[in-house]
Amino acid sequence: MKLKLTVYAVLLVCCVPFVFPTWWMATTSLKPVNEIFAFPPALWPRDATLDAYRQVFELQPFAQQYVNSLYIAIVVTAGTLVVSSLAGYAFARVPFRGSGVVFVIVLAGLLVPNEVTIIPLYRMFDGLGLVNTHWPLILIPILGAPSVLATFIMRQFFITLPRELEEAGRVDGLGRFGLFWQVSLPLAKPAIGAVAIFTFLHSWNLFLEPIVFLSSKEKFTIPQALTQYVDAYGGALWNVQLAAATMSALPVLIVFVLAQRQFVEGLAQAGLKG
Amino acid sequence: MTLLAEKPASVLRRPPERAPYWTMRRRDQLAGWLMVAPQLAGIVAFVIVPLGLVVWYSLHEWNVLAGTFDYVGGENYQALLDDPRLGPALRATGLFSAGLVVLNLSLALFLAVLLNQKLRGTVVFRTLFFSPVVVTLVAWTIVWGFLLQDNGGINGFLDLVGIDGPNWLRGDTTAMISVIVVQLFKNVGLNMVLFLAALQGVPAELYEAARIDGASAWARFRRVTVPLISPTILLTSILTIVGSLQVFAQIAVLTQGGPGTSTTVLVYYLYQQAFQFHHFGYGATISLLLFVIVLALTVLQWRMRKRWVFHEA
Amino acid sequence: MKLRTLTAAGVAAALLALAGCGGGSENSGADGPIDLRMTIWSANAKHAALFDQIAAAYKKDHPEIGKITFEAIPIDNYTTTLTTQIGGGNVPDLAWILESTAPDFVTSGALAPIDKDADLLPSATANWEQDGQLYAYPFSTSPLGVFVNTDLVTAAGRPTPAQQIAAGTWNWEQAAATGAAVQAKTGKGGIVVGDFDFKGWDTLNSIWAGWGARPWSEDGKSCGFDSPEMVDAMTFVHKLVFTDKAMPGPGVTKDFYAGDAAMVLTQISRAALLEKAKFKWDLVPLPKGQAGEYSVVGQAGIGVLKRGEHVDAAKQFLAYFTNQENSAKLAQFFPPPRKSQLTTETLAKANPLLKPAQLQSVVIDGIERGDIKTSHTGYAELQQTVRAALDPLWKPDADVKAVLSGVCAKINPLLSK
Repeated sequence: MKLKLTVYAVLLVCCVPFVFPTWWMATTSLKPVNEIFAFPPALWPRDATLDAYRQVFELQPFAQQYVNSLYIAIVVTAGTLVVSSLAGYAFARVPFRGSGVVFVIVLAGLLVPNEVTIIPLYRMFDGLGLVNTHWPLILIPILGAPSVLATFIMRQFFITLPRELEEAGRVDGLGRFGLFWQVSLPLAKPAIGAVAIFTFLHSWNLFLEPIVFLSSKEKFTIPQALTQYVDAYGGALWNVQLAAATMSALPVLIVFVLAQRQFVEGLAQAGLKG
Repeated sequence: MTLLAEKPASVLRRPPERAPYWTMRRRDQLAGWLMVAPQLAGIVAFVIVPLGLVVWYSLHEWNVLAGTFDYVGGENYQALLDDPRLGPALRATGLFSAGLVVLNLSLALFLAVLLNQKLRGTVVFRTLFFSPVVVTLVAWTIVWGFLLQDNGGINGFLDLVGIDGPNWLRGDTTAMISVIVVQLFKNVGLNMVLFLAALQGVPAELYEAARIDGASAWARFRRVTVPLISPTILLTSILTIVGSLQVFAQIAVLTQGGPGTSTTVLVYYLYQQAFQFHHFGYGATISLLLFVIVLALTVLQWRMRKRWVFHEA
Repeated sequence: MKLRTLTAAGVAAALLALAGCGGGSENSGADGPIDLRMTIWSANAKHAALFDQIAAAYKKDHPEIGKITFEAIPIDNYTTTLTTQIGGGNVPDLAWILESTAPDFVTSGALAPIDKDADLLPSATANWEQDGQLYAYPFSTSPLGVFVNTDLVTAAGRPTPAQQIAAGTWNWEQAAATGAAVQAKTGKGGIVVGDFDFKGWDTLNSIWAGWGARPWSEDGKSCGFDSPEMVDAMTFVHKLVFTDKAMPGPGVTKDFYAGDAAMVLTQISRAALLEKAKFKWDLVPLPKGQAGEYSVVGQAGIGVLKRGEHVDAAKQFLAYFTNQENSAKLAQFFPPPRKSQLTTETLAKANPLLKPAQLQSVVIDGIERGDIKTSHTGYAELQQTVRAALDPLWKPDADVKAVLSGVCAKINPLLSK
């Protein structure tokens, strides 16, 4: 009993740094500017106002930007799942000549920070006339460096699947793609779940790339839009920024809370094997 | 005609066990390449070729504004060796990465073990610990920027307990700690969930057996848990190290590399040189150094996995 | 066999794709409408509306022009993003340029020369010229002034700066005393230097110029941080922060516009932020420094990028965008560099929040005798280097002289480049 209480106490204390910033962000977005810097900071606004939320939509096409971020993240997630599950499966289970070399080449993608290649990439996409479109934000994550992590996770998962499963499928006359599609992939749900979340969040958080590739407001993504809430002279509109930040975080948080059971328990299944 | 006539005959004569051309092996050659083709093409187009271009740029003095691009050979490399700012940048990078990896893995594992106790309400805690992961990075960092101010939330809280908190982002050591901590709480939930999943995969019988053998809780953790979740430890440590070497937005928002150059990590220095100071050729040279470091660390970890990772395929 | 062919085909396809990537962006339509793009750092809706209005009027008389876009880039990343675009080959036709990066843009040859209107003030164009050619139009020439929250000053039992000006005692000693009194009596901030935040050290020139100090010599070759004037000025600033407690310390934000500070030193154009202020405020010139009365001007220019696709069209549009008539319209946000428009009358129309006397003393007198903020080629690197070397100064027990010598040691190699 005592132990239980201790565990609860420790958990509660640990919660503070995880929860407080989000709490503060949400409540402060309701405060008028002169309360934001009050010391010590208040847990709850004295004069709550939704003014900042109104301004979020007035100053920028925030709804459109939200849709942009959302659809880009969804397309990227779907595309990455296709590319990475195929590649991960091949690296794990298909004996083909050169697979080792190819794997090393692909892994290199994991090791190249995006700041390194942004200028050559910018030149390439500009050459194709795709600057200030969403294509770079879709194609680079699906095919380029960010998808390598997904492939790596998929490979690590497929490698742990027992050989016997596929032997059985092979006896039933399935080819390689059949084995992949009908036998291995259905078993890979936990890994797929993990990859989907990683990928979605990566795309949702992308900051440098949108800043470099996109230039018109209607095409902006959320993280980029967050930094644009400034007054005429570049001074930050703190409360508006926080209101927009809150709106960028809450829906994803809610979806996560609703779906977290599947996600974590899906991973737990992966844990059984990994 | 004769050929055609002969062929069926030869086929007929052949023993039935003669394998067709498309053996499973040959098919696998094709299938394997087809399956990795999109990924490989993408990596070549979006990583390898740009990386090659970066090497090419590193041999040039590139003034973006003037539009000049002059071959200078190894000058940028020589400049890198002579750069008095490189040492501090490497030191900051090392401190940040080491601090983050150690804290992140320990805290993640600690929280995972706590949550793995069969207690009511752990799902709630699990959700709370994970929640920063889904908060937009820029938003999270901006909020911490407020909280870490001298008159911000953290010192306000410390004030209540009677502690006069430091000016977090203005002291060399505290600024580094701040940047590490902001990144820690943002992402530790991810590793925690991975650990939790791994822990739940450890068969209860093993603990039971260890308990019967009289092993203490700590010994059970050391001898049963750690070895069994070692593949996850490997995965999380690689991801965390590689991620830590690429930290950018937090530094850009919180400290801009200061005070002094105490939080100017290599990526931030690269960014400064290439994008702020317009020394793109030199920036390219620094980025190659960064690439080599990441590569070396990863290869090292991968090599060492046989030593300590349990049943790695 | 098949496999090898396949691999070869794959490689060929990849190479083709890359060739496609690398080559040919030269499809600038021969006869199609000309699209112009200007990068700006204001994301303000009122600014955007005015720009669009000017662009629409221009297009009416210029059928060859297709679209004119004003692309807002956040000011924090402005020069970086602009440079990335230029480096990537996506060169905007026109760009706003910060005064601090003016030498980089002007001397590198990135900008095309533009026509110089005789109406332009010589003091306003100096920063944008090379060899007698003008390379950017200084559309915003904004003197620094002091906004005062008179409610707070009175509450602290101090005379207002306006009263002090009348009495001839408006100097830095008095300003410091007022700041200290406000911070001590009301708990609000004293004097805030706009955009300083203990990082943007160059904004401190609104103080040290009053001591006659400069960060480096006129020719940009020798360091001025260790000069006696600079040491005096910085000792004063250090005392202001740590001894007098008349300026909020590092890591403390006090928002003047929200009523949290007694005074802010900033561009007069920020008056717009006081539209909804719930306190009484005033605008006064900078206090007298040890070297007497002085004034400081902040600037921004618009340049035509030489490597843009439509240099001539861009030049023509810039001429229209900044002509007499439009300059008068822009004056409500950006003080004009034109002699003819530097009258209280024109300015009052554009700045309804300011009184004629304020406009005369701060804006007109300020622009005419103003020191332009210090700039230098390779400014970004200097900025960062000084920032890092100056950080040790922002501690209570700092040795001002030693820190400033340290700054010189760090930037001398950059200045001699």
